[in-house]
Amino acid sequence: MGVTCVCQVPVAEGKSVQQTVDMLHRKLEQLGAVKQGNFCVDCETYHPVGNTSGQPPKFLYVMHNSETPLSCLALFEGGPCLTADGNFDVLMVKLKSHFQNSKGHKVESRGARYQYCDFLVKVGTVTVSSSARGISVEVEYCPCVVPGDCWNLMKEFMQSFLGPSVPELPSVFAAKPEGLYAPVDCSDTMTQYLELFSKLRKQQVVSGSSVR
Amino acid sequence: MSGGPAVRVSIESSCEKQVQEVSLDGMETYVPPLSMSQNLAKLAQRIDFGQGSDSEEEGAEGEPREQEWGKQEPEEDEATVKFQPSLWPWDSVRNNLRSALTEMCVLYDVLSVVKEKKYMALDPVSQDTTAGKTPPVFQLISKRKSLATAAQVLLKGAEKLSKSVAENQENRRQRDFNSELLRLRSQWKLRKVGDKILGDLSYRSAGSLFPHHGTFEVIKNTDIDLDKKIPEDYCPLNVQIPSDLEGSAYIKVSIQKQAPDIGDLGTVNLFRRQPKAKAGTQAWHVKLEAAQNVLLCKEIFAQLSREAVQIKSQIPHIVVKNQIISQPFPGLQLSISLCHSTAGDKKNQRTSPEKPKPDDHLYVLEHNLHQLMREFHKQTLSSVVMPHPASAPFGHKRLRLAGPMAYDKAEIAALQQGEGLLEKIIKQAKHIFLRSRTARTIDSLASRIEDPQIQAHWSNINDVYESSVKVLITSQGYEQICKSIQLQLNIGVEQIRVVHRDGRVITLSHQEQELQDFLLSQMSQHQVHAVQQLAKVMGWHVLSFSNHVGLGSVESIGNASAITVASPNGEYAISVRNGPESGCKVLVQFPRNQCKDLPKSDVIQDNKWNHLRGPYKEVHWSKMEGRNFVYKMELLMAALTPCP
Repeated sequence: MGVTCVCQVPVAEGKSVQQTVDMLHRKLEQLGAVKQGNFCVDCETYHPVGNTSGQPPKFLYVMHNSETPLSCLALFEGGPCLTADGNFDVLMVKLKSHFQNSKGHKVESRGARYQYCDFLVKVGTVTVSSSARGISVEVEYCPCVVPGDCWNLMKEFMQSFLGPSVPELPSVFAAKPEGLYAPVDCSDTMTQYLELFSKLRKQQVVSGSSVR
Repeated sequence: MSGGPAVRVSIESSCEKQVQEVSLDGMETYVPPLSMSQNLAKLAQRIDFGQGSDSEEEGAEGEPREQEWGKQEPEEDEATVKFQPSLWPWDSVRNNLRSALTEMCVLYDVLSVVKEKKYMALDPVSQDTTAGKTPPVFQLISKRKSLATAAQVLLKGAEKLSKSVAENQENRRQRDFNSELLRLRSQWKLRKVGDKILGDLSYRSAGSLFPHHGTFEVIKNTDIDLDKKIPEDYCPLNVQIPSDLEGSAYIKVSIQKQAPDIGDLGTVNLFRRQPKAKAGTQAWHVKLEAAQNVLLCKEIFAQLSREAVQIKSQIPHIVVKNQIISQPFPGLQLSISLCHSTAGDKKNQRTSPEKPKPDDHLYVLEHNLHQLMREFHKQTLSSVVMPHPASAPFGHKRLRLAGPMAYDKAEIAALQQGEGLLEKIIKQAKHIFLRSRTARTIDSLASRIEDPQIQAHWSNINDVYESSVKVLITSQGYEQICKSIQLQLNIGVEQIRVVHRDGRVITLSHQEQELQDFLLSQMSQHQVHAVQQLAKVMGWHVLSFSNHVGLGSVESIGNASAITVASPNGEYAISVRNGPESGCKVLVQFPRNQCKDLPKSDVIQDNKWNHLRGPYKEVHWSKMEGRNFVYKMELLMAALTPCP
């Protein structure tokens, strides 16, 4: 597992989400990337029950990634991150009295997985409670684990199919001191997905009101 | 026995003798003990003989008594002795004597009274006559009764004796059974169910997942006559094994060239001799081991057939009755069959002895199958190794960690990748076949072609999937100078990789022809290399050398190679072309001045042009003297080199 960058791609003017995704697929295929099945990242939100103190509730996010099919990640926003196996979902059911599943807050990103030499590109449609909200693009450069060493290369690669909407160095890496990126688990990737999802969830209200 | 310091306690006998005096230096002088007679005299002095014998009062006696009463002699007159009773040891004697005296006195008085006949008269006492006489009937009855009692006692004794003898016998048998059972218990798993003793011969505790229960029953062998002599091989313990595990079984693995008729399938019935029982092993042990072997063979076969059905291969594996047929290479079939013979079958076989077939059984593969099965057992056993987190799923530890360690797809796939028994054994069979065929190819080439020679050095240490052989191509008598061709053949599962001495790698497929062609082309190249080496030794100059000549007739195998060498003074040149198929062609170029039949050219009139090379002439190579190519070449070179 190498350095991963997750970013949001704005929907092109006058096009639907699906059309924009198709366009991205076409661009990638023109580059020479090979499609390798699908991927799926999902996120469920739990809110704590019985919050006695006056603090704002701290949500718990349980995420799954098809890239690590046997694992399950639990994250607090900006807080600790836990990697566990699939039984964690069962455990959350048992913890009903402490954490309640917020129905309708399920965010998912599904799409195709492309391989282009050393790069893995995943173009996904982000859906919040089964309505498409945006497009996520995950780019992974497999051979390297130090973000600083390969960021420029990744940026250049992303420019080739994303055009001008290339993101900056993800804050996960920027916050870390110089050194090795932790490749053991996919927590950095999932943190980026979580950021993206929260952004899209908040956006939903704005865009929903403006569109309709 | 306390651990304290030892305190010495001295014990000495109490002083029995009287101390006469203690001298100033502490020496004690004792009074010498009295002799018997002195003692008697001393005691006698104390007796008051004046005391009356008839006076009964003892109160008057106030004399102090002595300690040594035991020494008192009993011959003293009882009447004269008057002592205080109860403490005197001779008291009872004295009392008896006294009462006897009283009786005597009374008798004397009675007799004297009777004598007077005034007061008393003696009459005979009348006797009861009826008491003494008993009727004969009673006598008979009592006699019979006593005899019966005596007989009863005797009978009871006899019964007891015979019972104890029988018990002894039974005990011995029982003891033997128990000791045998103990021995059985030390080697096999046993448990008691109801009044039966059941044993377990399955490999379940070793990690087997085969559903066969594999239970045997321990029986006490009682069908033997105690009176007769016990046969030598008698064993009080017998085991009853399930009927489907009886007999002997083995798995036959063989590779055959052509496919037999489909009608022949599934009827493999070859038997081996029963292994002789080792001395000192019990009959039950042999029986159980055989049954366990049958069980393992069945498990292996069941596993193989399950895999054969599940695995999708290009040519599907065929499972018919007790045989699995797979096709590792085209035109070749691997058959794995379970041969199970029971006692009944053996008789049948004996009556119709078949013509002994050549034994194509691959023992190595059979052994490997057993080994693989046990490895598989071990794997299942180690996957449930404790301690194990209560929440985690059962399985391999690394797989269990895959979740928390967030392994990605590739890593998980690498963990789960496990080959089945059948795939492994097919791979091994392929390798074994490829190896033996390679050996055969090399050997047949070596025996067919004498010049150059092929040597094969097989390495002893092999993997189940890979072995290697080193092939040297040399010419007889010139081994030291012609060492150019050294090939390392790495024989794998499907292909042979040839590593040249210079590091080139050529991959050959499993086809026999490929290897043969390759070796032939190498041999042909060897000859040209040999000429090159020889030229160096002989001082000739190499003018040109080519392993793959692009001119001349096209060879069906590989390419022809060629070399041209010039003699040390440059007058002659030898050109050799050697092809794997066309054979060798040797041409000698003569100097121009030696050729008479050359047409005189107008241009090259000058004498210096005589040194130009002339035409080539072919050498009739087969007519050359010499035992092999290099030797012939040496002779030719020597002939063309002018004497100094």
